[in-house]
Amino acid sequence: MLLYALKRLGLAVIITAVALIMLISMIQLIPGDPAAVLLGPLASPEMREMFRQQMGLDQPALIQIARFFGRVLTGDLGTDVLTNRSVLVTVMEQVPFTLALIFASITWSALIGIPLGCFAALYRGSLADRIVGVLSVSSIALPSFVIAIYGLLLFSVKLGWFPTIGAGDSGAPLDQLYHLVLPSLAVGLGWVGYLARMVRASMLEVLTENHVRMARAFGLEERTITYRYALKIAIIPTVVLLGMGVGNMISSAVFAEIVFARPGVGKLIFDAISTRNYPVVMGAVMVTTGFYVLCTLIADLIAAGLDPRVRSTL
Amino acid sequence: MSGMNLSRRQMLAAFAAAGLSPAFYQSAALAQGGKTLRVRSYADIQNLDPAFRKGAPEDDVMRNIFVGLADMTPGDTWKWRLDGAAKLEQVDPTHIDFTLMDGLSWTDGHGPVTADDVKFSFERMIDPKLDSPYKGDWEVLDHVEVKDDKSGTIVLKAPFPPLWNVGLVFGSGKIVSRKAVEAVGGRFDTKPPAQSGRYVLKEWQPKQRVVLARNPDWKGEAPYFDEIHVIPIEDAKTAELGLEAGDIDYTWLEASSIPRFKKTPPKGGKLAVKPSLAYVWLGMNVEAAPFDKPEVRHAVQQAIDVPSVLEAAYFGAAEPATGIIAPGLIGHREKNIYSYNPDAARELLKKAGMDSGFECTLAILNTTEFASAAQAVQANLAELGITVTIQQHDSGTFWSLGDEKSGDSWKKLQLIINRFSMQPDPSFATDWFTPEQIGVWNWERWNSPEFGELNKKAKIEPDTQKRNEMYVRMQDLMEESGAYVFLTHGAVGVGYSDKIEPALMPNGNPIFHGFKASA
Repeated sequence: MLLYALKRLGLAVIITAVALIMLISMIQLIPGDPAAVLLGPLASPEMREMFRQQMGLDQPALIQIARFFGRVLTGDLGTDVLTNRSVLVTVMEQVPFTLALIFASITWSALIGIPLGCFAALYRGSLADRIVGVLSVSSIALPSFVIAIYGLLLFSVKLGWFPTIGAGDSGAPLDQLYHLVLPSLAVGLGWVGYLARMVRASMLEVLTENHVRMARAFGLEERTITYRYALKIAIIPTVVLLGMGVGNMISSAVFAEIVFARPGVGKLIFDAISTRNYPVVMGAVMVTTGFYVLCTLIADLIAAGLDPRVRSTL
Repeated sequence: MSGMNLSRRQMLAAFAAAGLSPAFYQSAALAQGGKTLRVRSYADIQNLDPAFRKGAPEDDVMRNIFVGLADMTPGDTWKWRLDGAAKLEQVDPTHIDFTLMDGLSWTDGHGPVTADDVKFSFERMIDPKLDSPYKGDWEVLDHVEVKDDKSGTIVLKAPFPPLWNVGLVFGSGKIVSRKAVEAVGGRFDTKPPAQSGRYVLKEWQPKQRVVLARNPDWKGEAPYFDEIHVIPIEDAKTAELGLEAGDIDYTWLEASSIPRFKKTPPKGGKLAVKPSLAYVWLGMNVEAAPFDKPEVRHAVQQAIDVPSVLEAAYFGAAEPATGIIAPGLIGHREKNIYSYNPDAARELLKKAGMDSGFECTLAILNTTEFASAAQAVQANLAELGITVTIQQHDSGTFWSLGDEKSGDSWKKLQLIINRFSMQPDPSFATDWFTPEQIGVWNWERWNSPEFGELNKKAKIEPDTQKRNEMYVRMQDLMEESGAYVFLTHGAVGVGYSDKIEPALMPNGNPIFHGFKASA
């Protein structure tokens, strides 16, 4: 297990480095002069040049990459050229909002999706199974921004139950929770369907395996067989899926953060790309890439812990 | 829906009853009942130094935390009024005397606001070492003479009418503390070292809100609201929903939403429609074939049915423009030289030897309004056999397209739909079309020395009538060149809660400290 963990950790570092090299290379290809965009029409050529230097854009791409990694190793993500604030501070201010949104979405989608999947598998072929199937596929098919907009129109504008904008007062955790309801619904609803389908398929496979048949032959309760023996194995692909899902949720979070005018890393990156504020783009992508790689790493380690066969796959 | 008519408050109570938090319920209820104004800004603040502000979001905040000598008056006509000055008088074309009002003071122990602070604030705008992007607002400033603690004279190198409409009344006219600013190295970002306005910056939560609280040291007329929360909401539709749900008290609306709001005003909300100062036009790059031929340019001018373009883009909420200077400003033209005439356009194409048509590109910013306008233009030109390919760009790319220093994209530009925002002085519109601006903001690359000369002279012309004639002539020159089709100034829709009475400039820009509760 330790050898697997070390190998997996090494892979995570390589993945992060490759992702960032790709990012910096893509930045070179994006049209539009960052200094012109950031400073506007009234800036002098001297000021534009100074900005290019501050962002390191006057250097070749390889130097930019080397400098960026050098800074990252010392925990410095650079300076936001617009506000003169530390990029690390700027990004870390936004991280809790995105994390809260993602974990709220994952939590409630797992709490609903996994039992639904189990239920559908146990009652395979029944009307209930078919209804769960239709609802699951429908929720997967609905884009998160559509859910966000209709959720806003119905629950905020029409019924007035939930707030439309913001993340709530900083000193009031429950106010923040209240502001999370609709955004997490928008981000997480599709995942209810994914998880239900995944757990159902996995459970159906596991329920036919020898160890489950053996348990039945020993006369164990169906409830014990389902949750102790079948679900434990069937959940493995779901754990990996959830790890991967965090990455997708970061993308969905961008829409939710824009539609609900919430702060967050997704919106920070979106705004920074629009304004060509590359130090912030690079810093924020570095953090989200690291977070994504960490989540998949944890998911893989959990999967390896639950199923020793996984350890030999790397 | 009869069974689902729970209010927000009942919903909160349900949360509380479910054991989530009685304290939470109380806090939300208090926020609803307090004298807090919640307003939308289209972007977060980035820099509150008047010399380095980025745009309207900063201007709107600075107007509350700093005083200037003068400010704009809310209402339907462009007029200035005294702000931090008790007296402000143009004693001759190049001298403006001022006296500060009593009791103005800086926060953070930096003492009273003095005439020396005024000198420091205005002279730093033209300091070459500081290199403020707004130096043009004070380009004819010679110096400021300080007479005593509270009075002095602004001395200009030449008469400069735009000073009264732009330099003195917007961000460039805000006064900062010499002592405090020098103590932080001569410039600042989002943390003003000293404030003097009706409000002070209490808190900035990036991407969430700016909280302005009453300045306890303000000695003038007290503003109505205890706090102003400026909430950055980039997406206009989200802001509109926020207004409809009662989460914000003020927002501007997309032009395309105005008809809907007129027809069905939001519950508890009101709509005000104001004429915009901005200008939208279709430009043609006079160096890019086939638009290097005047006949082709004039053909396009007369092939475009502007009202139909506006109907597509603004759903009837915007009027056609007669130039780049909006109604109500010096230099506004009453009518265009050319109008929609497809037969004349065909003749012109034939004369240019292009009666079988041609292919070209139309560059636009990727907004719904511009996309709709571009499609209408595309349809108009298709009737002449001109095949237009619409190229949509994000803002970062679009605003660099015509800039020579940003690459070669300017060489490929042919047709462009563009929009520039404005301050209430005609020089702010014409500055971008001079020969010096070719390859910077003059993307049509139209080179008219007469226009350039007139632009210089009109800025310093003290006679209003002569100034008016000069700006009218300049727009005639633009249209005669064939490189411009003036589309619209647009319209500004302002949505606000019926519980407040907003203080708005003639174009709908807010003066937050003037907002009050409705009678």
